[in-house]
This record gives sequence, C-alpha cells and structure tokens, in this order.
Amino acid sequence: GLSSARAAEILARDGPNALTPPKATPEIVKFLRQMIGGFSILLWIGAGFSWISFGIQLAQGTDSAFDNLYLGVVLALVVILTGIFAYYQEAKSTNIMASFSKMIPQQALVLRDAEKKELPADQLVVGDIVEIKGGDRIPADIRLIFTQGCKVDNSSLTGESEPQSRSCDFTHENPLETRNIAFYSTTCVEGTATGIVINTGDRTIIGRIASLASGVGNEKTPIAIEIEHFVWLVAGVAVSIGVLFFIISVSMRYRILDSIIFLIGIIVANVPEGLLATVTVSLSLTAKRMAKKNCLVKNLEAVETLGSTSIICSDKTGTLTQNRMTVAHLWFDNQIYSADTSEDQTTQPFDQSSPSWTALSKIVTLCNRAEFRPGQENLPIMKRVVVGDASETALLKFSEVILGDVMSIRAQNKKVAEIPFNSTNKFQLSIHETADPHDKRFLLVMKGAPERILERCSTIMINGKEEPLDSEKAEAFQTAYMELGGMGERVLGFCHLYLPENEFPETFQFDTDSMNFPTSNLCFVGLLSMIDPPRSTVPDAVSKCRSAGIKVIMVTGDHPITAKAIAKSVGIISATSETVEDIAKRLNIPVEQVNRREATAAVVNGMELKDMSSEQLDSILREHAEIVFARTSPQQKLIIVEGCQRQGAVVAVTGDGVNDSPALKKADIGIAMGIAGSDAAKNAADMVLLDDNFASIVTGVEEGRLIFDNLKKTIAYTLTKNIAELCPFLIYIIASIPMPIGTITILFIDLGTDIIPSVALAYEKAESDIMNRRPRNKRKDRLVNHQLAVYSYLQIGIMQSVGAFVTYFTVYAEQGFLPSTLLGVRVHWESAASNDFEDSYGQQWTYYQRMYLQWTGYTAFFVSITIQQVADLIIRKTRRNSIFQQGLFRNKVIWVGIFSQIGIAAILTYGLGHVTALNFTPLRFQYWFVAVPFAILIWVYDEIRKLLIRRYPGSWWDKNMYY
Amino acid sequence: SLAVKILLFYVIFYGCLAGIFIGTIQVMLLTVSEFEPKYQDRVAPPGLTQIPQVQKTEISFTASEPRSYEPYVRNLDNFLRDYSAEQQTENIVFQDCGDTPTEYKERGPYNDAQGQKKVCKFKREWLENCSGIHDPTYGYKDGKPCILVKLNRIIGFKPQASIFAPVNESLPPEVMAKYNPNLIPVHCVAKREEDADKVGAVEYYGMGGYPGFGLQYYPYYGKLLQPRYLQPLVAVQFTNLTYDMEVRVECRAYGQNIVYSDKDRFQGRFDIKFDIKSS
Repeated sequence: GLSSARAAEILARDGPNALTPPKATPEIVKFLRQMIGGFSILLWIGAGFSWISFGIQLAQGTDSAFDNLYLGVVLALVVILTGIFAYYQEAKSTNIMASFSKMIPQQALVLRDAEKKELPADQLVVGDIVEIKGGDRIPADIRLIFTQGCKVDNSSLTGESEPQSRSCDFTHENPLETRNIAFYSTTCVEGTATGIVINTGDRTIIGRIASLASGVGNEKTPIAIEIEHFVWLVAGVAVSIGVLFFIISVSMRYRILDSIIFLIGIIVANVPEGLLATVTVSLSLTAKRMAKKNCLVKNLEAVETLGSTSIICSDKTGTLTQNRMTVAHLWFDNQIYSADTSEDQTTQPFDQSSPSWTALSKIVTLCNRAEFRPGQENLPIMKRVVVGDASETALLKFSEVILGDVMSIRAQNKKVAEIPFNSTNKFQLSIHETADPHDKRFLLVMKGAPERILERCSTIMINGKEEPLDSEKAEAFQTAYMELGGMGERVLGFCHLYLPENEFPETFQFDTDSMNFPTSNLCFVGLLSMIDPPRSTVPDAVSKCRSAGIKVIMVTGDHPITAKAIAKSVGIISATSETVEDIAKRLNIPVEQVNRREATAAVVNGMELKDMSSEQLDSILREHAEIVFARTSPQQKLIIVEGCQRQGAVVAVTGDGVNDSPALKKADIGIAMGIAGSDAAKNAADMVLLDDNFASIVTGVEEGRLIFDNLKKTIAYTLTKNIAELCPFLIYIIASIPMPIGTITILFIDLGTDIIPSVALAYEKAESDIMNRRPRNKRKDRLVNHQLAVYSYLQIGIMQSVGAFVTYFTVYAEQGFLPSTLLGVRVHWESAASNDFEDSYGQQWTYYQRMYLQWTGYTAFFVSITIQQVADLIIRKTRRNSIFQQGLFRNKVIWVGIFSQIGIAAILTYGLGHVTALNFTPLRFQYWFVAVPFAILIWVYDEIRKLLIRRYPGSWWDKNMYY
Repeated sequence: SLAVKILLFYVIFYGCLAGIFIGTIQVMLLTVSEFEPKYQDRVAPPGLTQIPQVQKTEISFTASEPRSYEPYVRNLDNFLRDYSAEQQTENIVFQDCGDTPTEYKERGPYNDAQGQKKVCKFKREWLENCSGIHDPTYGYKDGKPCILVKLNRIIGFKPQASIFAPVNESLPPEVMAKYNPNLIPVHCVAKREEDADKVGAVEYYGMGGYPGFGLQYYPYYGKLLQPRYLQPLVAVQFTNLTYDMEVRVECRAYGQNIVYSDKDRFQGRFDIKFDIKSS
C-alpha cells in the first residue's frame, strides 16, 4: 500500500474524500429572502409611498401627516413580521429534516505502510488499497483487484434494485457498466473484495452527479407565479385609478401637491395589507396538515404546487414498491399459485394441502443460509432484520410465515454439508439429516436458476409422487418459467433427492470439493418467483391520480420487463392498454408496422432515449398516456423532467438516491423519501415523504388543490372591502365631503377584524370532489382571474360601499349635517381656524367638534364594512354551490372568524372609544344595523349569481360571473 | 355585442344600486326633523369664537399702516352688517328685548305651526367704540384693537348663569363684581400669568353696557324658524397692549353649562395672539 507520508501528500493535493456539502444558504439570506418578492414588494412600495406622502404633508404642515408615517411603519412591520413567521415555519421543517441525517463517520480498512489499518473514510486517497466485505459501504470509487462472491447494491446510483455482481474483469468501456469498478456510497451486499482507490470526494461518480444538482436552477413555484400575477393586477388597478383621479383632481383645480398626495393615497389604499399575512398563515396551516399526513413541506409555497401537478415522475424502488424481495408466485403440481405480497402478511392463502408443497417448503426452508438477527421475536416477521441476500431473505420470511419457527426446523434437520451459490454453478446445495428419527436417509436439497436445476433432474414431483420428466412435463415447466419471468419476477427452481440409505449410511463423510454425492437425476419439485412487490396502497393512489387527471410516469433504472410488470400491477399501465410491442406481438407483425397512435402505453429504454431528439421525446410524452422509462441514468431523468415541462406540465418528481437530486431540483416540486432518501435528495427536494409512501402524494395533491381554491376565496374576500375603503377617498376628492374613513381605521379592518375570517376560509371544505377534476391549466386557470377581480371590485365592493355610505350619511344627518350640506365643504371643514362652522340647522361647530363627528363617521363606516364583511365571508364559502349545499355550520372556524370580527369591532368602538389617537369614538347602537339590509342584499345577490351559474352552465353569466 | 351586454349589465346593476342608495337616504331623511337635529351631543356645549376670524388666531398689524389691519376691519364690517339698525326694522321679524339682561324667551314648540319665530334685536350702538359707527377702523388705527366675542349657536341651548365657574373655581373678581343672574359674562385675561401686565386695560361692550350675553337671546330656534337670528355679542377692546411682542389672551364665557375641554380649545373659551408692531 501507500506510505503514510505519500498518502498525506496526496490528501493535501486532493482534499478529503468527502462530498462537498451543497452550499448552505446563510440563515440571514434565507430570512431576508422571506421579505422580498411578490407581495412583500407591493407592501414595501406602499410603505415607501406613505413615507413620501408623509414628507410632503409634514413640509406643508398638514395635521394628519403622521397618519401616513404610521401607515408606512405598519406596512413595513407587516412584511417583517410575516417574514419572521414564514422563516420560522420553514426553519422548523428544516430541523425535522436535519434529525434524519445520520452522522455516523464511516470507517475503511486500508493497507498503509504494509499494514491493515482502520481509517476514517474521508482520509482515503487515490492509490490506497482498501478491503471491503458484505455490509460495508464502498468508501470511494475503487477498481477491484480481488473479489470473492462480491455483489454490490448500486440502487442509490443507478436505481437498479438487483444487486450487481462484481469481479476483476474489465467488461465494458462505460465505467457504470463494467464489472470491475465499485462506486462510492453504494453498498457491498455480500462477498469480499479488495480494490485500488481511483477517485475520491467530488471526483467520484456520485460526486459528479451531486454537483450536477447544484447546477440546476430552482424553478419558481406555480403559486409564486400566481401571486406575482395578482400583484401586477393590483398594481395595475391601483396605478390606473390613481392616475385617473390625479387627472380629475388636477382638473378640479386642486393644487398639484395635493393631487400627488391623493395619487399616492389611492395607490397605497389599494395595497391589501392583510393578504400577505393571511396567505402565509393559510399555507402554513396546510403545511401543518400535510405534515400530519406524512408530507413534510420544506418551502411553504410548495404546498400548493402538488395541487397543480399534472405529471408525476415516480421512482420505482421504494416509492412504488416495498423495496424488498418477496415471494410472489409458486409453481408446483403443474399449477401456478399466487402468494400474498402485501406489507404485513401473516398467512398465505394458497392451497397448502398438496404433499408437493410439503416437499417444496422443506427445500425452501433448508436450502437457505439467511438467518434472523437474534432478539426480534416480538417483531412482526416482515419487520425483522435478516442477515443474508435479498432472495434468501424473501424465502426465509416466506417460510417463517407459513411454517412458523424456521430455525427450529433447521435444527431438527441438521445440515451435514453445503455448497454455497456461485456464479459458475448457479445453484446452491445442502445435505441434511431428516427430522424423522426412524428415517436414516439424508436429504439433498438444491435451488438455483430454473433451467440449470431442471437439467439435473430426471423426475418431477406431481401431487407428492415422483413421475418421469418427459417432454410434455418439461414443456409445462417451460411455459410456467416463461410466464413468471414475463411478469418481471426472479424465478428460482427447487429440487431434492433422498440419498439411498445403503449407499450413504449415517456415518458417511460428505466432501463438497470432490462432490462424492449425486448432483444429477434429482427430483424437480417446483418454482418460486420473487419480486419487489408494489406497496399495497399504491394501485389505489395511482388510480386516484388518474381520476385527478395526473399522469403518472415511472422512471427507473431497472430492467424494462420488471419495470413494466410493476407498472402493470400498480396501474401505471392499465390492464387494457398495450405498448407498440404488445400490439406487434398480438397481430404478429413487425414493430415498425404498428400504428403508434393505437398504443396508449409505452415502455422506453434508456438506450433508446439516448438516441432520441427532444422532438421525439416530446412526441412520446404527448402521444402515450402511460409511460415507463426503464434503465435510465440520472442525466436522462433530468431530460425526461425537462421534456414534461416543455409540454407545459407542472412536474412532480419523486426520488431517494443521490442520482435523483438533479431531477428533484429541476422539477416543479421535488419529493424526497424521508426514510430511504439520501441527504442529497432531501436537500434538493421541496417536500419530504416521511413514510416513503407514494399514497401520501395523493393527500398532498388534495391539500394543494384545496388550498388553491381556498386562497381564491380568501383573496376575493380581502379584495372586496378594498373598494369599500377606496371609494370614500375617491368621493372625498370629487365631492369634497368630510373624509368618511381614516387611514388608521382602514388598517384596523385590514389587519384587525378581517385577518381571522380570511384565515378561516382556509378551513373550508371542497365544494365538489376536487380529486375528480383535471389539474388546473397553469396558463389559463389563474389564482386571481379577471372575473374574480371584477366581481369583487365592481359588484360586491361597490355594494359594500353603498351600504357604508348610507351609514355615514345617516350619522351626519342625525347630528345636523344633511347630505346636501356636506357636499363641497372639504376645505372649510378641515380648516382649524373655522370654529363656527354652520350645519344644516344653523348651529355652529368648533373644529374639534367637527373632527370628533368625523371620527364618529369613521367608526360608523368601519362598523358597516365589518357587518358587510360578515356577509362577504359567508358568500365566499362557496364559488358555485349554494351556501345551503355547503352547510353554514360545517366550518366552525368561519364562526370563530365572524365572532372575532364583531368582537374586535365592538372593542375598538367601545373599549378604545376614548383613545382619540386611534380615531374611534363610541357609536350609537342603532348604527350597527344600518348596513344589515345591505349585508342581506349582498348575500341574496350572490345566491342568485350562484343559482344562475349552476342553472346555465356555459352561458354568458357563467363565463362572466364564475371566478 | 359582448361589450354591449356587459355595459348593459352594469348600467342596470349600478342603476339599481343608485336607486337603492337614493331610496334609503330618502327614507332616512324622512326620519329626521327639519327643525331640530336628532342628536346634539357632538355640538354642545357650545364653542366661543371671535371676529375677526384669523388664521392661527393671531392678530398682527402696525397701527400706522392701514393696509396691515384692513382684512380685520373688513371682516368686522361684514359681520356687523346684519347688526345695523336699518337691518332690524321689520317688526314682524324683530322684537325689542330691552336694554338689560332678562329671562330666556321661550317661543313655543320647534316647528312651524305658528310660522316663523321672532328674533331679539341687538343694537350695534351697544358695542360703542367697537361698533364701527364712530371709528370705522374699530380702534386698530390707534393700536387699540377690538374683537367681537360670540357664543356658537345651538338649537334649544339655554346657557345658565352661575356665580361659579363650572370647574368649581370661583369667577374672577371683576366678573363677580358685575354679576347678573340673566347674564353670561365674558372675560379676557392674559393666557400666561406673567403676561398679565402686558395685556393692559380691557374694555367690554355688550347689551346695555353689560359685558356678557343676555339670556333673552336664548334659546335659538334654528335656521328655518329664525332665519335672521342675531346672536348676542360682546366687544372686547384692548386699549393698552404692549407693542412689539406676542401677547396671548384668553377669553372665556362663564356659565354653569358652559364647560371647557382640554382637547377642544374653543369650547366656552378661545385664545388669541396679538402682535402689534410700533412701526
């Protein structure tokens, strides 16, 4: 080996043998990132404008200048506090994630200074000679120079679930295919090997893939795009109303500076102050709900992404399947039996009465080197840890389930000789004493590749009787073997032979090297086939995805046959659909003559994919509803994701290995597995499935769709009263009436009374089965479409304004100012020097008396908006159904919202009534009811709207009034 | 046609809303009397204000420059026009209420069943040096400015004379000296005590020489029933103000139901700043 000095030199040159962790974003940057973008920008601009306005007014000496200062401060505070909240939420889920990563330093057995040493794996350098044995993680990329029955599990790198055997022979030009290289981070399943380190750290294959991931840009989430669209819409409305009224006020001979103040005021009034907080809280509520259902969301915005997902590219191993070999089928007595492959099997239902089964079960039990780790008697059989390879484990568990205590059966049938499996023989053999003390014969049992086993047999057991193996029976065997193999299953053959007592007496010494016992003319007993079976919840989940209009594509490193079999069994390829190859086979014509359009399904091999242009890939993705990609490499996974995105789809990708991380990052939403997933995958993902279960994704889709619908409702609710807050200002400018509602009062609506109700809408149940409609078209189905804006702004908003103005005029009229008197009084009314201002009855008012009345007006306006917002809240519960269909009382949180709304308004009015700084005054009780008829009107109008939408789908009304 | 349809919809929609709005406002107005407001809790107790009305309540002028006080004089002229004798000749409107303060003059219910209500005359001559009859500059040309003090009109409000100021402090001795149970006295003093000597002598001219408002002018019956109501005035002349510095003066009306408020500096009192420049 290397000398320590030389190794230290190389280590200094190459750096430690570890993957550079992805550059962690500094916490402060993450924190600041929460405060920019989308909504926050809108609020910052609002705050900036308010301060400009404050500056101008301060210079002019206006009394109310400080209102604008406070407004700006409040806007800034809202952004900062919401940012802190969102940061905290995301930090919390990051912490949950961090607890998953196991920080056990890896050790490696290295030859240094001609001595074997245990070293931490990160100290390895190129040229080191390392030894590995079954169960070890490969500490670097190594070229093997000595192997013994070595098999490696490359699934984290290539996705192949089958262990790959390794030898010293150079078999392929491609390093990924050749047999004499073992890769960093994969595991050695069995055997031993010695090798020379050829690459360390980031230069290893896995390191290169990991760095590929960091080169992939993060996509903007659909909800971020929607919110951006919404911000533009609000900004557009704000600026156009602002400019319009700027022109109006200039032409009404207001001073330019005043007009600018109006312009800014209008723009700021359009900013929905509460919405940022509401949206963030709603998303985090959903995130919390999803976490409870095992979907941990790393990025709050990703909560909705699943809802708009139209294609899921799913991994096979571990996500769709249980990630363990399980016996799926048996063949004995010329018949195929199915075994139970569910996660928690306790019995096996197939017919076990045949004596052939008794013989077969004995072979399965005895010809098996796998053992349970001790001390797991209380665990269910399926959960116990086994020492041994995947197939033997499957067989051990299978027989334990059926026969009970396998270890004691083995003890009763003492093993006297054994030949373990090797790749030249392709069989495994052992010789046992029998359990029957009167039967002194030895039993020879053998299992292995079916064709090799059959070659060694001259008889076959049918119903417990040995019958000669004629061509007819061999034919039956062949058919069964083909059928099982065609299902993508790994098939093993089993045979036995009772050694004649006279030739092999009790004292006979078996020698496995010279093979002093018969290994041919055995009796064939049966076949067992194994597969990594689908999780039992997956077929249902896939069909739910399908009815929800989501295309599920399988992308795996596995063989096409296995992949297709699993795809069929979980429904990714449905029972009736055929691939081009299937059609060709059925019609007995060459593949080229098949009309590709007839084939709904496609199984695409990674090799074919390599030679495909992106147009060809696009046409495959477009033309086939059911697609399986097999034997794909990590780069190809990325190409597939990009191809799907080119179709305009929102793509979810699931994955667990390091090899998946580029695709996870590229996807609109990357979903990593919490248990099996590597840290790299979890880092690149937006979401982590804590139970590794594909079915959890369906829950995520449902929650995502629901939150999209409910955010629509929340935004509609919030936008409505914006008009009721803006109208007073516009009328104030045009009609010069006393200001109907003040800035601070508006803040108390936006950030006070309205917050809980708008969050309550996030708890609303879906109006119809959201899992039965297609995913939204991200180009057409906007979060805030023009129908929503128009209906909220121009209809309900205006109705609210009318109701509030009626209250306003009532309050003034009953105090002595009839509506006609109020028009045009602005300048005089606001003059502090005028202390004998005359009302409609000839009474004279001091400035402060007028201001106090004005604040009473604010309070009345505020109360009216609040009352009408209750109606607004109720109508927003549904967009299409009648309230009575949805149920008024199903969502209790709405009622919490309503009571909080009225409670807060009452406290502000009566509790704070004497704190004049907040511009609230006690209000006569009857003024609370002036707006009630308008609230009822809003509700009735909306019911009529919904009725007409339901009654006349597709009509002009439906098109214009449904948001 | 789609645009027309939408336009039509909104015309109808807003038409209906406007109808509802006007309808409700009309219904609301039906519940409101035309003679007296439903509530007066925001307007009472009354404010006390002065003429000339000035921005920032500061009267600043140079006695030798007529142009510097011309706005004040014009303001006073305009205000006193209604108080001229020739404006108070119609006996059907005006009533002679005597030269001395007397009891309230109740004039029946607040409606027009008996037609309009009569109004007490207020003689401009009572204001003497501040009447503008003899000195059209109201003393400004001599550096002895006049201001007129009036109590804000409130329908039905009957100020109550009292020997006590409302906050349990007794009236200033000068006011006590001229106490009359039917008079709401007005008194002006320096705002800050240290300014007391800078204000100098203050002359009060009111009805029949009383420095206050006679109760016979109350209650007020409102614009509709007493369109030509003359609120009683007290003229205050500062005859010896210190020149070339700001002198703050506070005037108060004293009555049991005339209260002062920290928030409303014009309720029952006001303050005014004089800044007379010598050249």
